[in-house]
Amino acid sequence: MAVVETYAGYGPIQAQRFSPYADNGGSIVAIAGEDFAVIGSDTRLTVGYAINTREQNKLFRLSDKTVLGSCGCWCDVLTLTRVLNARMMMYNHEHQKVMGTQAVAQLLSTMLYYKRFFPYYVSNILAGLDENGKGAVYHYDPVGHYERNYYYAGGASSALLQPFLDNQVGLKNMENVTKEIISLEKAVAVVKDAFISAAEREIHTGDAIMINIIDKNGIREEKFALRKD
Amino acid sequence: MIHRSALRLIKMFLTRSEYDRGVNTFSPEGRLFQVEYAIEAIKLGSTAIGICTNEGVVLAVEKRITSPLMEPTTIEKIVEVDKHIGCAVSGLIADSRTMVDRARLECQNHWFSYNEKMSVESVAQAVSNLAIQFGDSDDDGGAMSRPFGVAILFAGCDEKGPQLFHMDPSGTFVQFDAKAIGSGSEGAQQSLQEQYHKSMTLKEALTSALTILKQVMEEKLSSTNVEVVTVTPQKFFHMYSKDEVEEVIKDIS
Amino acid sequence: MSIMEYNGGCVLAMMGKDCVGIATDLRFGVQGMTVAYNYEKVFDVGPQLYIGLPGLATDTETVLQRLKLRVNLYELKEGRKLQPAVLTSMVANMLYERRFGPYFVEPVIAGWDSKKNKPYLSTMDLIGCITETDEFALAGTCSEQMYGMSEALWQPDLNADELFESISQAMMNAFDRDAVSGMGAIVHIIEKDKVTTRKIKTRMD
Repeated sequence: MAVVETYAGYGPIQAQRFSPYADNGGSIVAIAGEDFAVIGSDTRLTVGYAINTREQNKLFRLSDKTVLGSCGCWCDVLTLTRVLNARMMMYNHEHQKVMGTQAVAQLLSTMLYYKRFFPYYVSNILAGLDENGKGAVYHYDPVGHYERNYYYAGGASSALLQPFLDNQVGLKNMENVTKEIISLEKAVAVVKDAFISAAEREIHTGDAIMINIIDKNGIREEKFALRKD
Repeated sequence: MIHRSALRLIKMFLTRSEYDRGVNTFSPEGRLFQVEYAIEAIKLGSTAIGICTNEGVVLAVEKRITSPLMEPTTIEKIVEVDKHIGCAVSGLIADSRTMVDRARLECQNHWFSYNEKMSVESVAQAVSNLAIQFGDSDDDGGAMSRPFGVAILFAGCDEKGPQLFHMDPSGTFVQFDAKAIGSGSEGAQQSLQEQYHKSMTLKEALTSALTILKQVMEEKLSSTNVEVVTVTPQKFFHMYSKDEVEEVIKDIS
Repeated sequence: MSIMEYNGGCVLAMMGKDCVGIATDLRFGVQGMTVAYNYEKVFDVGPQLYIGLPGLATDTETVLQRLKLRVNLYELKEGRKLQPAVLTSMVANMLYERRFGPYFVEPVIAGWDSKKNKPYLSTMDLIGCITETDEFALAGTCSEQMYGMSEALWQPDLNADELFESISQAMMNAFDRDAVSGMGAIVHIIEKDKVTTRKIKTRMD
């Protein structure tokens, strides 16, 4: 809020109000297949029109079966992921097992909701394999609403990415196609294409994408260049 | 001349009275007497038997009907902790309620936080944490001033399959294939050791549990003075009705 | 909520090889309430010449009427039909006249330039800042979604059939993710000597 002055120069002066949130941009796309999940995020970190770094990975490996993509207010992302890692470690010690993707999904929701009135300003997408080894994608709002899907886009470019995924992965508005579950090759290609399109128009998204492919053999990483302007 | 061992006994008796005061005070021999007394207390409780098979876990307890005017159904010694976990208790039943409440709470908290069933071992661990809190004066009012006078059998089915855990008043918990607690536990445990084998079916375990219970009970075994529960991967916690119990008893000579 | 989103709606146009297409959704609403689903926002204003006017519906209609007046006067005075570039200038001028109290519409103009004998495509903001393009142009409440779709589905030198498919898919999937656009669409594909108009059925929610 600006300094308020009266006609005589006297009167109440209000201090600059502290704004606890920043938007650091970034986008995430995740697609679940029959026995795999693919998750990708761009590597650009911004504040307004400034680019802080072109190589910030926004994917967090939580276990051999679960990867979290997180963007929005970057300081919140860092805190959230650190607390989440600590909670998972505690679970590991208490119950002598690695947290499954579904348990992580619920835990993340609960953690977000516990800050219902001073939320983490974060867009989360969780990808991994469920207890049956099937691909799973969960997406969240900042206060813990979550849903399991086959594909989802989040972050600064979500509006540009989501209809494309609807069309190419969800096969929406397509006639004479057999609705079959997407293959790994197609999923990775769609993630790349989606980001190429988004980087054309959305200034907070660009530079490169990190892709994590999660299957029964573990997690593979792939980097793919985007436009850097 | 007094025998040496008798001397030792007298000395111990004397030392005991000194180290009984604080519940968390070790005796010079390294013992916590209040805990040991609590373990003695559970030997006065009614007998409870648990048998773990590949098909599920059986729990059977005797109910002591001390008066013909008593309503037997109000004695509850096997309770449901969660859909997939049940527990049988012996000792001070009032104390057991606190522990069962904690077990239930922990199960629900686990479900709330992780959207999955709590494992049987974790439930035992959680209740054990409560059991050893006695005498913690730092705690704000929540802790008990003495150890719980209860022994518990946790029976459940989780991702590791059917499991049976036993916990005593010291909070120590150990996994068992078959375990008896309460007044008849010594004889019952002996019989369990003889009868138990790894390939036991649930039905065999059921008959075995009731046969042994019958042997150690003072009263005549009937459908009113026993409580029977099975925990299986299919039906989870299942409390046997009067008719179902009679059906099982019928086969027992 | 912005006044540009009061009624909802969108227009998308794409350039192909010797053809250009322009599409509109059919929803007319008042904020969240849908009032009609036959409300076209693309209008025929000359031979092989279309203008899309998404934005505030009352301004869509006013701008269209005032534009028709100017188009008629032009044709009478000059004794010839408008070229798309001329229409673009005319609309831009008209909007700039209201620089400080604008009409809340973002025009998209698609037509056949019979002088240069090639398709023409342009768009402008609500005060008449023109952008001519030979790729795609769009405006409306689901512009972000349409940008995402169009960047992926558009490519140079699409033929008329491919162009129709690209425009339709881009628009449908875009407005399916927008609550205040959709309810069916109409696509015009403009070629040298013909215009093909098709109506598309879409989900109605």
